[in-house]
Amino acid sequence: MEKTLSEYISLSKNLDDLKLEKKLKVAIMPSFTLNGLDETLRVKCSELDIRCQSYVSGYNQYNQEFLNPESNLYAFSPDITFLLLDIRNFLGEIFHFPYKFADKDRKLLVKEKTEQLEKIINIFSENSKSKLVISNFNIPAYSPNGIIETKSEFGFHEMIDEINKSLREMCKKKNSIYVYNFNNFISKHGEKNIFDYRQFHIGDIQITHNFIPTLADDLMSYVKPLLGKNRKCIVLDLDNTLWGGIVGEDGFDGIELGHTPKGKAFVEFQKELLSLWNQGIILAINSKNNFDDAMKVIREHPNMVLREKHFASLQINWNDKAQNIKEITSEINIGLDSIVFFDDDKINQERIKQEFPQILTINMSDDPSNFVPILKEINDFNVLQRTVEDTQRGEMYAQQRERKNFEKTVSNLDDFLKNLNIKVKMKKSNKFLIPRISQLTLKTNQFNLTTKRYQEKDIQNFSENENFKVGCAQVLDKFGDNGITGVYIVEKNKDFWVIDTFLLSCRIMGRGIETAILNEIIKDAKESGIREVRANFFPTTKNKPAENFLSEFGFTQQGSYWIYDLNNQIKIINHLEVEIEE
Amino acid sequence: MTDSVYEIVAKVFAISINDITDQSGPENIESWDSFNGLVLVDELENFFKIKFSISEITDVKTVADIKRHLKNHDVIVDE
Repeated sequence: MEKTLSEYISLSKNLDDLKLEKKLKVAIMPSFTLNGLDETLRVKCSELDIRCQSYVSGYNQYNQEFLNPESNLYAFSPDITFLLLDIRNFLGEIFHFPYKFADKDRKLLVKEKTEQLEKIINIFSENSKSKLVISNFNIPAYSPNGIIETKSEFGFHEMIDEINKSLREMCKKKNSIYVYNFNNFISKHGEKNIFDYRQFHIGDIQITHNFIPTLADDLMSYVKPLLGKNRKCIVLDLDNTLWGGIVGEDGFDGIELGHTPKGKAFVEFQKELLSLWNQGIILAINSKNNFDDAMKVIREHPNMVLREKHFASLQINWNDKAQNIKEITSEINIGLDSIVFFDDDKINQERIKQEFPQILTINMSDDPSNFVPILKEINDFNVLQRTVEDTQRGEMYAQQRERKNFEKTVSNLDDFLKNLNIKVKMKKSNKFLIPRISQLTLKTNQFNLTTKRYQEKDIQNFSENENFKVGCAQVLDKFGDNGITGVYIVEKNKDFWVIDTFLLSCRIMGRGIETAILNEIIKDAKESGIREVRANFFPTTKNKPAENFLSEFGFTQQGSYWIYDLNNQIKIINHLEVEIEE
Repeated sequence: MTDSVYEIVAKVFAISINDITDQSGPENIESWDSFNGLVLVDELENFFKIKFSISEITDVKTVADIKRHLKNHDVIVDE
């Protein structure tokens, strides 16, 4: 149950968030009166263990704040800035009297206004490192032109549509800018509910107080991925979750899936899950069932949408559900805080909630027609960018499952590695690779020597700097393409090189790939006449897997650095093939 | 229903219900500013399932005013 605005405000007064590890600075820049959003966001952040500091600009002050490099906004130095504009303020007089002007003049005016906006946005990105989220404009349901509005040449509605289109184009051009679809927010919740003429006349309040928590929830969709609080995996029960009935009792032909109204609800739910899978969300099964009964449905039922290949882990057995969750996290190597758990059984929900509070356990309805609306309300799956690797993630995990099965058939690790046919393609950073390189530095925790986080802008700067060597590695094997999964950044000094960043995605750890990549860096250093390569290991709570890598490779600790003497022999790795791409 | 009105006022302005009288208002409750005043209106409207007019909203100076306006909407309030 969503809390009311007054509950958020009173909670915000007693927030005990000083000790929270993650911190976020949020700037809110409204063109109208927007009280309470700031308090609500702070409470919502604290619920996610984020300490949120906020800056709210004065009423309709965004222009001045953006234009003045000395403004309070820039002094505050936000991580994320919400620019929330309203169409009345933006259009001025023409909002009420659009047809007083000729269509040519309307076009001209829209062009002028959007150019002005683009100008201040550009100034903002030059002056701030903050992500910028700009709301688009609500297209009012009403038009003075009535039913022939849709026939009007560049009419009132088309004007606003055109502004929204320009905003979209601006945000496509710049990685740090996002458009918040406020028009969608209004369509979803209704103009009549959100805009209250009384509040508008009393204080230019354009979003009624009752909907501030809902708006805050939408804005949290940006905050979550910014701080790595987004979720990546949906763990699903089978009986009465993916199909109606219990396969063990009702049998293959007795379960409800497709055809009946209730059966259609389960098909629809599966379609929505598949559509998330296509965007890189991992799916896994946690079900108390006979493995063979359940697999027969997954493999052979004509109306199943999700098949074996869509699941990264299949825990179908009679074990405790919490135990199965542990199996899933270790099989696909993700944290509990990445998981959303769907199970129709209230007792199972309770069990998981108590055992793993980090998991988002969904309160499922008994009515399967509610499953899709419930799924669509979850705003935890957002990412700030989606790389090719993300969209292929589902397939990669299925390949990983095959790899593991293969590992079980081979008697020792060496044989396994030899038979994997691993190929490592070393690639120099370029503009197509920069988003993925940045993404890996931002989210790789385990095999990461220094855990330095770099935005795309930073990676771009390193790549353009001739004193740095920035690259990544694509890893392929007989089961498929793992994508770009390794990154290194090396600072090149006259006599010695320093490894600034060296990381590897956890799904390819332990196959000698890390050694092969470092080998190439060492070879390159040697060929460049360098004396030694220095590296650091900065321990964190999560990077234990990388702890012994440097010493095992042959680095020795000297003072604060790990040093590799280039007179040493370079290790030879036989089981994989390295290809250097320039 | 006076108790409900007092409870809502206490909740919105984060004060004790014992500190509220019919004479309470922006004059003597520090947290009763224009924003919280509007939050109070929302809470009352949601609770009693009514809608105040714009004049009723701007006219409120004390808790007694709220009770008077509630009566216009057929909400029974003790004197």
